[in-house]
Amino acid sequence: MTTKDCTELYRKWQQELNERLAKSPERKKQFATSSDIVVDPLYTPDNIDQHYMDNIGFPGQYPYTRGVQPNMYRGRLWTMRQYAGFGSAEETNKRFRYLLEQGQTGLSVAFDLPTQIGYDSDDPMAAGEVGKVGVAIDSLEDMEVLLEGIPLDKVSTSMTINAPASVLLAMYIAVGEKQGVPAAKLSGTIQNDILKEYIARGTYIFPPKPSMRLITDIFAYCAEHVPKWNTISISGYHIREAGSTAVQEVAFTIADGIAYVEAALKAGLDIDQFAPQLSFFFNGHNHFFEEIAKFRAARRMWARLMKERYGAKNPKSWQFRVHTQTGGSTLTAQQPDNNIVRVTLQALAAVLGGTQSLHTNSRDEALALPTEESARIALRTQQIIAFESGVTDTVDPLAGSYFVEYLTDQVEAKALEYLEKIEQLGGAVAAVEAGYMQREIHKQAYETQRKIESGEEKVVGMNCFQLEHEPQPELLRVDPTLGRKQKERLDALRAKRNNQAVEQTLAQLRAAAEGTENLMPSILECVRNYATIGEICGVLRDVFGEYRAV
Amino acid sequence: MEQRIRVLVAKPGLDGHDRGALVVAQALRDEGMEVVYTGLRQTPAQIAAAAIQEDVDCIGLSCLSGAHNELFPEVVRLLREQGADDILIVGGGVIPQEDIPFLKEQGIAEVFTPGTPTRVTADYIRAHVKRKRMTLQTAPSKIAHIGIAVKSLEAALPFYTQQLGLPLIGTEEVESEQVRIAFLQIGESRIELLEPASADSPIAKFIEKRGEGIHHIAFDVDHIEDRLQQLKENGIPLIHETPKPGAHGASIAFLHPKAAGGVLFELCQYPQAEGSKEESGHE
Repeated sequence: MTTKDCTELYRKWQQELNERLAKSPERKKQFATSSDIVVDPLYTPDNIDQHYMDNIGFPGQYPYTRGVQPNMYRGRLWTMRQYAGFGSAEETNKRFRYLLEQGQTGLSVAFDLPTQIGYDSDDPMAAGEVGKVGVAIDSLEDMEVLLEGIPLDKVSTSMTINAPASVLLAMYIAVGEKQGVPAAKLSGTIQNDILKEYIARGTYIFPPKPSMRLITDIFAYCAEHVPKWNTISISGYHIREAGSTAVQEVAFTIADGIAYVEAALKAGLDIDQFAPQLSFFFNGHNHFFEEIAKFRAARRMWARLMKERYGAKNPKSWQFRVHTQTGGSTLTAQQPDNNIVRVTLQALAAVLGGTQSLHTNSRDEALALPTEESARIALRTQQIIAFESGVTDTVDPLAGSYFVEYLTDQVEAKALEYLEKIEQLGGAVAAVEAGYMQREIHKQAYETQRKIESGEEKVVGMNCFQLEHEPQPELLRVDPTLGRKQKERLDALRAKRNNQAVEQTLAQLRAAAEGTENLMPSILECVRNYATIGEICGVLRDVFGEYRAV
Repeated sequence: MEQRIRVLVAKPGLDGHDRGALVVAQALRDEGMEVVYTGLRQTPAQIAAAAIQEDVDCIGLSCLSGAHNELFPEVVRLLREQGADDILIVGGGVIPQEDIPFLKEQGIAEVFTPGTPTRVTADYIRAHVKRKRMTLQTAPSKIAHIGIAVKSLEAALPFYTQQLGLPLIGTEEVESEQVRIAFLQIGESRIELLEPASADSPIAKFIEKRGEGIHHIAFDVDHIEDRLQQLKENGIPLIHETPKPGAHGASIAFLHPKAAGGVLFELCQYPQAEGSKEESGHE
């Protein structure tokens, strides 16, 4: 068929469409994605960028649009990594073992808020929060219990920990030592992304400058001692949860990534020394095709940045490796079983987008932490996609879809506009300090709420197709006496540990923090001597001060 | 200057998720309220202190971490301790249905769970803020009239004119209320006898339900629109939110009997009253 024939047929189609529209209008005046990319009724070869080699290329090759491995899931499936943790270290260890028995392939630890903000369980600031949104970890002793019976040389562990990431990583290394697993053999990830805490998640402790120092100290330490460890998981997930669009998620995440790269270079590290261990974390949201496009666009953007702007030579430095979690904020408290369907579609989009690991949310997460049964269904959702749907049998199956390629180009173009704006503001750290991303996200969140309330945006079971009587599902309850139990455990620990060694190592840490040396070795020493997270973070608070939100 | 409801939106505990708190804060501002947001990680003591210092009518607590059962009641306790228990406290966040009865028992007036339209929250706050707002309006100047429901003007009038000797000023039919009225002068006020003009008029229904007798008391007021607005903002239930035409060219509006223990009050503003009185100033 010649181009002329094609143009002729296209015109004919358009004419027929116009005749139809005159008779019956479409469901909406305008169709658009979450990022306000207008969706046309039809995409044709004209929408595909003609530079296949430059922009799409081959999987496992620069610019990685089609994936970071040459054969993707034909070789190895993504890591099924369910985020879990509640109550005590014993209870969470039990849940970990259950998930591994059920076929999960990696661990992901949820810590409670006091742990995430560097308070001991008996600190007045921890009142009511102990063990609520994750497991309570006060010292190495709790970490030993948490990881009991889990072979750290075989299982990789992701830890959602940011401001005190150095402390939890040190605890993990120390547990490895006790198991006889050398640090060089440990594999896993710490989130360690402080910028998105200021932007969207709220578990910051220190101001940006010392926080960035902690992060680059971890980069340097791990490059030397824990080479398989992903030293950061640069997160768009929470930015999206706070209300951003897909485009903002890509743009702000990559802007944060640039800030970390710049900070590490400024600290004297070589790009190819730390960049291979940078990883990313995205949200799996509702707009199916835009989500797939988002992953592909982000891979291409990161590869180009690393190669062209920063001159990275090691292909591993160019690869945007990403963990995905389905979008918690898309779940409804109404008719919670509907959430199973939402999660399925979101997980499928992440898989078609080429994610390296995946957490699927449980149906009851708009109400509480998941019960064992809900967590199992969420894991089964991944397994059904992996083993029954056939989508894993070929690489990047939607490449060449006129629509998906068009969206990939659009997401990239619009994200680049944001990146330029952030550059003008002086980079991500300056933009965060000025509240720029926070304001952009809030505007979008309010807009979404307005659309939901006006019915323009439909949420099944919530603002349409509601039920008169909502049955109340069984929910997980965290032991309300846990705060007291953790306090007793802490008292016992303080009575039996070598308190002189604790004081000494804390004093060394203080001296290191006041100077410029790498903090990781001092933190590791404190941890080995059973100093608590509150004591360690207390010293750092003294020296660094605390961040106050803009 | 109209009085606006003041709300403190607060994040107790360590939870860093403030999308909901920020959206609600913005929505309440768009609803005409003054909103103060505390920011993250506030202790109950800090929240209570801020509420008193900011002189708010309502506190909205948001918590998604599951610590609500410990933190919300503590805020209530501290406010009571400091004699500020007239502040309305509402909550929201990830809160299971089964926890709501306990929270209400502890003094949280209402809990808005995920999916609640912001308008619902705003309306609830408007209707339930308890504090007496310093009134900007002067008190009503006098009783304009007392309305008495009668089955028949003809049958009722002789008692008032012949036995009491009250002068009959005239009669009028008010279409909007489907009522025929006879006016009798008494000092600076009046008695209004109200006869239903149709079987399904409000007066007919009143007589059917409660028999003949005192139906309502009307106050002579100025600035009727501002007054109604203020009453509405203070959560007083109204039958008419905006004035409508009454007898003698007056603008009138009825408050709901729920507002005053079953007594039906009417506000009346007469045309000559506007501007003839001194403007009520306030310091």
